Amino acid sequence: MSVIEVQHVWKQYRRPHKQVNSLKEAVLAMLRGQTGYEEFWALRDITFTVEAGEAIGVVGPNGSGKSTLLGLLARVLKPTFGSIVVVGRVCPLLELGTGFHPELTGRENVFLNASLLGLNQRETARKYDAIVEFAELEEVMDSPVKTYSTGMVIRLGFSVAVHLDPDVLLIDEVLGVGDEHFQHKSFGRLLEFKQEGKTIFVVSHNLDALKRLCERAIWLDRGRIVKDTDSEEVIAKYRVSVELWERSLADARARDAPPG
Amino acid sequence: MSELAEVWRYREVMGNLVRRNLKVRYKNSVLGFLWSLLNPLMQIGVWWFLFKIILGNEEPNFMATLICGFIPWFFFSQTVLDSTGCVTQEMALVKKAYFPRTILPLASLLSNLIHLGFAFAVLIALFAIWRVDINVHYWLVIPSTLLITVFAYGLSAMVAAWSVFYADVKFVVGNLLGLWFFLTPVVYSLGGVLDGQVKVTNWLTGLMAHWLPVIKKIYLLDPVAMGIVGYRSALLYGGANPIMKPEDLARQVELQAQYPFAHYVLGAAMISVAVSVIGHLIFRRMSDLFAERG
Repeated sequence: MSVIEVQHVWKQYRRPHKQVNSLKEAVLAMLRGQTGYEEFWALRDITFTVEAGEAIGVVGPNGSGKSTLLGLLARVLKPTFGSIVVVGRVCPLLELGTGFHPELTGRENVFLNASLLGLNQRETARKYDAIVEFAELEEVMDSPVKTYSTGMVIRLGFSVAVHLDPDVLLIDEVLGVGDEHFQHKSFGRLLEFKQEGKTIFVVSHNLDALKRLCERAIWLDRGRIVKDTDSEEVIAKYRVSVELWERSLADARARDAPPG
Repeated sequence: MSELAEVWRYREVMGNLVRRNLKVRYKNSVLGFLWSLLNPLMQIGVWWFLFKIILGNEEPNFMATLICGFIPWFFFSQTVLDSTGCVTQEMALVKKAYFPRTILPLASLLSNLIHLGFAFAVLIALFAIWRVDINVHYWLVIPSTLLITVFAYGLSAMVAAWSVFYADVKFVVGNLLGLWFFLTPVVYSLGGVLDGQVKVTNWLTGLMAHWLPVIKKIYLLDPVAMGIVGYRSALLYGGANPIMKPEDLARQVELQAQYPFAHYVLGAAMISVAVSVIGHLIFRRMSDLFAERG
């Protein structure tokens, strides 16, 4: 059974030539006859399906559309064309901990965040201890989050997200959060998820971790799918392309360098 | 309908947001939640000082008139003002997860409704202490509040959506509310306005004098003005027609015949609902772009 179905999805951003932040600027731009926008396709004709229990990694250079794709799957963004169907409870791990309110305590934030991700109060109360224990923040849960370190916020954010019992987990660059110890622990948790037969969709530049976690990978470049198959093969080819690109950059630099 | 069902499904998020709004607003202040009372009370004090002491307003019972007008006004203006930040301050949530965006202005509206309820409870307690006769006509407060609430939701939704794209909205709204304050019968009573004349001194007053009958009608169709008038009718006049001009009974009867009150209530209610629907539609259309433009 497929849990994610993406069909002919295009996503266009309108990138303003100049950031228009006020009415005055908008009126001036209009008077000068500037249309003000540069149209820019972040994703072009993306089609793929994901079966339940699959773990899929997405690789690609910066600006290739990886995060846009995750945003679309999380329903935070809307596709310009095409359709996306995701079945079951989706848990997006995008920008961990950013939804926390600095003035509220850790406990209050856990409840707010969990409700946002679709868990009701009673379920959250039941899982609360496990969440706190996983984040290793027992002592500080009644202090405002503004007193936490960055690492603590990220740990709590990750812990809330992975305790939601999602069907589909969307992960954006969070394989390397926290210290060595927590990285190890969070990666272990993701492997557990996989064993439980959950669907995982992960964007990362950490290719080794991707290869361990995912059996399938999608390589994006400038909004198009370059390759979508076995992760070993995709990652090996992607590595070669990155190396080639870096070498050509180095060559160009050497060529342009002044002699001597 | 499915939209409503979805908001209902996310009611816990809304509850959490409301609780958070209430907690955070007066965080780090010594008096905390008491400010939700002190703030309007102090403003009432300022207006009372200005109109009663400095300008020597002769109206009997001016303080009561002022309080009954100010409580609903404060609810309305605070709701619209808060809406300028209700999406922009939650960008972190908007970019992180899907939820029906409508719950953001709704949560801000609900928080302010709770503040209103709190202020109202204190008012009733004061009435009890002052031995003011508390009677059945007080129920009129409920439709009056509803009138303002529905209207405020529409405006809030519009303002919230525009605020995401233009930072100017906040300042424009603040100043417009400052003007609106005087265009609703908060610091004066309705009878004086309907009886009022404009002395022509320049082109603007000339224009106003010419259009005065129309201006008065539009004035009466303002849901906020109608809400305030409803509060006064309920709390001060025992449910009587609120077009009051106590010192001149004959003139009052004339005014009431000239401005059939029921028509204006109906008109204001229709405007309320229309603004609410339009505001909601604007918000919904723009909310697709919140995550990528904010």
